[in-house]
Amino acid sequence: MALSDHFPALIVALLLFSAFLTPPVYRWTPRFSAPLTTFCLSAAFLMAILLTAEVSRSGPLLYHMGGWPPPYGIELKVDPLRSYALLVILGVSLWIFVYALKDLSHELRIYVIGWYYTLFAILVASMAAIALTNDLFNLFVLMEICTIAACGIISIKEDRECLEASFKYLILSAMGTGCYLLGVAMLYMATGYLNFDLLNGALTEAFSLYPRNIFTAAALFIVAFGTKSALFPLHVWLPDAHASAPSPSSAMLSGLVIKVFAIALFLIFYQVFPREILNAVPLTEIVLWLAAAGVMFGSIYAMLQADLKMMLAYSSIGQIGFIFLGLGLDQELAITGGLYHVMVHAITKAMLFMSAGVIIYTTGVRKIKDLAGIGRALPITMLAFTVGSASMIGLPGTGGLISKWYLALGALEAGRPLFVLVILASSLLNAVYYMPIIISAFMHQGEFEYKVRPVPNMMKIPLIIGALAVIITGLLSRPVIVMLQEAVASML
Amino acid sequence: MEILQGIINNYYYMAAIILFVIGMHTMLTHANMIKKVIAMNIMDASVFLLFVAVGYRYGGQAPIIVEGADGVYANPLPGALILTGIVVAVSVTAYALSLIVKIYRFYGTCDYDEICELRSDE
Repeated sequence: MALSDHFPALIVALLLFSAFLTPPVYRWTPRFSAPLTTFCLSAAFLMAILLTAEVSRSGPLLYHMGGWPPPYGIELKVDPLRSYALLVILGVSLWIFVYALKDLSHELRIYVIGWYYTLFAILVASMAAIALTNDLFNLFVLMEICTIAACGIISIKEDRECLEASFKYLILSAMGTGCYLLGVAMLYMATGYLNFDLLNGALTEAFSLYPRNIFTAAALFIVAFGTKSALFPLHVWLPDAHASAPSPSSAMLSGLVIKVFAIALFLIFYQVFPREILNAVPLTEIVLWLAAAGVMFGSIYAMLQADLKMMLAYSSIGQIGFIFLGLGLDQELAITGGLYHVMVHAITKAMLFMSAGVIIYTTGVRKIKDLAGIGRALPITMLAFTVGSASMIGLPGTGGLISKWYLALGALEAGRPLFVLVILASSLLNAVYYMPIIISAFMHQGEFEYKVRPVPNMMKIPLIIGALAVIITGLLSRPVIVMLQEAVASML
Repeated sequence: MEILQGIINNYYYMAAIILFVIGMHTMLTHANMIKKVIAMNIMDASVFLLFVAVGYRYGGQAPIIVEGADGVYANPLPGALILTGIVVAVSVTAYALSLIVKIYRFYGTCDYDEICELRSDE
């Protein structure tokens, strides 16, 4: 076998390898550990690009861990949807990592930075593996790794808010994984398989024999993934966790971690459950209404916040609602829009948290009302913030418009015009809380009241890249949309 | 009646589910953080019990194949999976407890309600 056949496993293995290598390297020669992690992340990203090219050329790819075929072995699968998720995860985390290099030395004590790199690499590895795995139990283990690493990059700051927030996050996540494992047990009881494809085949027959088991499992999965990706009534852990964490962690958590679980739920709904189960119970209908409530309430709560990062965190609850809205409408265009929003929101929200990080780094200001006049002090940062806000609102020329456009088209196609109104209303609410910040930042008459340190280039460049990426996702969305549409059409 | 009969025949599943609900309820309603962690473990253990029960066969032997012996074996796969699950649960517990230690150093209490009061006093 050629090396390229092992790419699915190598992506994860390389990142885990770098995770275990960084702490000793950091101890002996601190300046090598950051380049080491950057190198591993870039190599993983490169492998993901090659994998995507391979998949689009010759169709889905299966990889058996250790050469053991299913049902006993663990199977990894790369299909267009998963390779898209992989690209988003690895690309965005590489970008956030470059930003983190500078910001961390300001937010963390110097001797834990090596450990932060470890947690970061484990988190990325587990997320990439969640996107790749084709096995329910493997997914459980990876979800737990992801949760611990995600809590780790919050609690590493070790102040009160961070510790409390990560404990809350850990407990609610543990409830989620408990529910998930119970659901897996139900499915295993009914079919005897854990592999996605084998389950898909066996569930049709099992559904007529043990419908109760399978309904329970489906309900438990919604609770489990809803908790982990902050679907509306289960979002209570998110604001504290995302707002108190160091800025690179916030970008990571809000940008990627919650979305990975949304994608996992999506994979389970469309690759594990056969169509007749989704038709027999209104699973997608439940998700749809929860998502619509999340879209509205997330935005309303965000309007009430005084703290910039808290506002961004609540805005994430609204935006994750859009992704679930696509899943809930259960219609090709809407799902495409929802999945496109995964990428758009990952880039946009990560960039917004980065700009918040730059503001905190250079001025120490966190309150929204203190930001008046900051546009002249930090022009590039606030321009990036403006571009990000525009994408959140869904103004033309940004990625936000494209995903909302497809969601709205899907809602019309499915005959649910009410949800077009929800999308529009939420865009309006987004404008209500993002625009005042921008207006007061640029139009304020007086001088900015706080002392401003210069912005390091290592923080400025990722912001510029992010702003460009937001605009590119808005202008050149065609190839990704086509790829997603094909992937979704093959699954429906 | 049919459902009742089914429950009586599969009482071990029922026991696992009752444990699960106890764990979940305690975890979400008790203010004491240590109790939350204990409840988390009860919840995990209940799922592990359910999983292992799924793999058992009436009259089955331990799944070790010996020359000449034939008959029914218990399914070894759930056992192997649960071993992994236990490792995961232990690591989550260890992490949760270490967080509690750190929180205790700040507030001098493990009770969430008391912490909220202390924070509102500031």
